[in-house]
Amino acid sequence: MNVEITGLARRFGRTMAVAGVDLQAGPGVFGLLGPNGAGKTSLLRMMATAIRPTSGTLRLLGRDPGSYGPRREIRRRLGYLPQNLGYYPGFSVAEFVEYFALLKEVPAAQVPAVVTVAIDRVELGGEAKTKLRTLSGGMLRRVGVAQAIVNEPELLLLDEPTAGLDPEQRVAFRALLRDLGLRATVVVSTHLVEDVGAACTQVALMDRGKIVFHGTPNDLTARGEGYGTGDAPLERGYSAVLAEARS
Amino acid sequence: MTAVQAPAAARPTPVKRGPLRATARLLRLELRRNAMLWMLPVAIGLFWFTAYRKAVAIPPLWNLRAASMQIGALLAFVCPVVGAAAWMGSRESRRHTTDLVTITARPRWVRQLATWAATTCWATVGYLGCVAALYGVTAQQAAWGGPLWWPAAVAAASLPALSALGFAAGTLIPSRFTPPVATVAAFFVLALSTQLIVGSQSYWQISPVVTGPWDMTPDAGVGTFYPYLPDLPIAQVMFLTGLTIAVLGAVALPGGSGGGWLRRPAAAVTMAGLVAAGTAVALAGTGTMDAHGMIAIPALHDAANDRPLRYTPVCSHTAIPVCLNPAYASYLPTAATALAPVLSEVAGLPGAPVRISQAAATYRQGIGNSVGIGLPGPPISGTPPVFRLLLPSQLPGPTMTTSELAAAVRSSAGFALVASVIGDNAGATRAQQAVTAALSMSAGLPQSSPAAPTRQRPNATVPLPAPVQSAARRFAALPASARHSWLMQHLAALRAGRIALAQLP
Repeated sequence: MNVEITGLARRFGRTMAVAGVDLQAGPGVFGLLGPNGAGKTSLLRMMATAIRPTSGTLRLLGRDPGSYGPRREIRRRLGYLPQNLGYYPGFSVAEFVEYFALLKEVPAAQVPAVVTVAIDRVELGGEAKTKLRTLSGGMLRRVGVAQAIVNEPELLLLDEPTAGLDPEQRVAFRALLRDLGLRATVVVSTHLVEDVGAACTQVALMDRGKIVFHGTPNDLTARGEGYGTGDAPLERGYSAVLAEARS
Repeated sequence: MTAVQAPAAARPTPVKRGPLRATARLLRLELRRNAMLWMLPVAIGLFWFTAYRKAVAIPPLWNLRAASMQIGALLAFVCPVVGAAAWMGSRESRRHTTDLVTITARPRWVRQLATWAATTCWATVGYLGCVAALYGVTAQQAAWGGPLWWPAAVAAASLPALSALGFAAGTLIPSRFTPPVATVAAFFVLALSTQLIVGSQSYWQISPVVTGPWDMTPDAGVGTFYPYLPDLPIAQVMFLTGLTIAVLGAVALPGGSGGGWLRRPAAAVTMAGLVAAGTAVALAGTGTMDAHGMIAIPALHDAANDRPLRYTPVCSHTAIPVCLNPAYASYLPTAATALAPVLSEVAGLPGAPVRISQAAATYRQGIGNSVGIGLPGPPISGTPPVFRLLLPSQLPGPTMTTSELAAAVRSSAGFALVASVIGDNAGATRAQQAVTAALSMSAGLPQSSPAAPTRQRPNATVPLPAPVQSAARRFAALPASARHSWLMQHLAALRAGRIALAQLP
C-alpha cells in the first residue's frame, strides 16, 4: 500500500478538520469526495507532508513522514497540486516546471527532458516560454499539474484538479489521470462526482472530517438506487451516503 | 490534453552526484527572475546621482574618491538591495506557493540561499559596475597613485549583509509591507549609525559608512603620504561577513528548514557569525586616530604601514623650487604662481630655504570630536633649510577653486615663509615685524591673514603699531635690488634682534 492511514486527525484551533480517518490506497486513481469543509484539503495536505497530523499514524510509500530522512525520501516521489495554485507570474511555464523539478531533486542532467515531457503531457508544449502572468485560469491549472508530475511521482495528490478546466480539457485530464494511475497512487480530491466516475477505481466520501464511505464508484452508485436527489446515478449515491451519515 | 498520446517520462533516477549542477540551474533560474535585476537601474541611477557626480566633482585623488565612493555607494544601494531582498524573501508567502515548495525534497534553506545569492549577485554586479566607472574615470584623471581597494571591499561586503538582512526580514515577516518598512529602516539605521560616534575608540566606527575618523570630512591628506591603513576596513569586512553568516544561518533555524542535520550546523554557523561580528565590533572600539589621520586598531595594525610612501616630487622652476607630492601635481602651477613673488623676495637670503617641500599634516584627537591638524615643529628645518608646505587643499574642508587656493597659499604659506626667513615669531622685534610686513607688501600678500593653517603664523592678524607700519611702507618702497642687498648684509643681525626699527632704510 502506498498510503496507510490510521486514526488520522488534525485540529486547527477549535476546529477538528480531520477527525480520525482510516484509509489505505494502492496504485490506481483514488477519488476523495465530499462537500465543502469536509476535511478533504486538510487530509490531502497531511498526505502531502505540508502539515503534520495532530494524532494518528500516517505511512506514505512505506515510510513514516514524521522523520526527516524518510520524509525527504517521500517528497522526492511525491506530486502535489494544491487547491489554490500559487505561482510566480514572471516565470515562464518551462521555468516554473523546471524550478519544481530542481526542488524535487530530479537529477540536473535529466531536468530538461522531464520538464519537456511534463509540459507536453498537459498540452502546453506551445506555451513553454509563455509567462505565467499571461495564462488563463485553465492553463495555469495545467501548469500546476505539470509541476506535480514532473518527477514522475509514485504518489500524486491533486486537490480540485479540474476546477477551471473546460469540458474538453476535463475529458483529456481524466485520460491523463487514468494513465498516471497505472504506475502511481493518484489521490484526487474533488466535488465533481463525474470526475470520480470517469477516472477513479476507488472512492472515499468525507463529511465533517470523517470518511463515511469507501468503495468503488459502482458501490457508490448502488447506494443511490431509489434515492431521489441528484441528476446522475453517482450523484444520487453521493447524496444518499451524505444523507445517511447526517441522519 | 492528450495524456495517453504523450509519453510518460522515465522515473528520474535518484543520483548522489551533480548537486552543484542542480544548484547552478536553480541559481540561474533565480538570477533570471530576480527582483534585484529590476532594481539595478534604480540603484545605478541613485549611485550616479548621489555618489558619482559628487565624487568626480572633487579633486582626482584616489583617497578622496575612494572614501566618497564607499559612503555614496552604500547609501545608493541600501534601499534597492534591502527592498529587493525583502521582496524576494517574502515571495513564497505573497505568491501562495508555501505548500507547493514546502513539500519538495530540497531543504528550504537551500532554495532560500539560492534566492538570496541571486539577489546579492545582481547587487554586486551593479556595484562593481559603478566602482569600475568611477575608478576608471579617476584612473584617467589622477596624477599619481592607484585605486584604494579596501573602501571598495567594505562597500562590496556590505551588499551581502544588507541583502541577508532584507531577505531575513521578508522571510520572517512575509508581508507586502515588509519590503518598504525594511528599506526605510535599513536606510535610517545606516545613515544614523554614525551619530553615536564621539572621538576615538567608539564601537560605532564599525559602521560601513565610516571611512576614517568620523569627525573629519574626507581629507585629501590622508593616505597620500602614508599608506592607507586597512585596520578599520578589515574590522568592517569582518563584521559584515560575520553578520551575513549569522543572518543566513539564523534563517535555517526555524522548523521546516531541514532536519536536525541541517539545523545543528546552521546554529553553529550562526554562532560563528555572531562571534566574528562581535569580535569586529570590539576591535573597532579599540581604534584610535593615528598621527596620519587614519584609524589604527592595535590588534590589526601592521607597523610597516607607518612608514611614509616613497615618491618623486614634482617641482616648479621658480626662484626657490616648490615641490609637491605627485598626487598634487595639478596644484603645482597654482601654488608656484601664488608663491613666486614671495620666493623672489627671499631667494638667496641667508637662511632662506633651498626648497619649498609639501609635507604631511599630523593629526591629533582633541576633546570630543575635535581634531587638531598641522605641522609639528618650525616650518623651516634641516640643512640645507627646507620650508615645509601644507597645502590648504590637503586639509579637511570644502573643495577650493584655483583662485581660492592661490589666495589661501599666499596668505598662509607666503606669510609663514617670509616670517620664517626674517625670524618674525612670537618674540619678534619691531624691526623684524616691519621687514616682514614690507616683504609681504612687496610680494602682494594680503595684510591680514585669516587663512588656515594658523599655526604657521599665529600673529598674522595682529595689527601692527603705527611706527612699524610706517617703517614697513618705507622699506617696501625701496627698489627690490636695494631691499635684497640690505637684507643680504643685515639679515643675520636682524634675525638676532640687533637691528632697531630706526635703523631700517
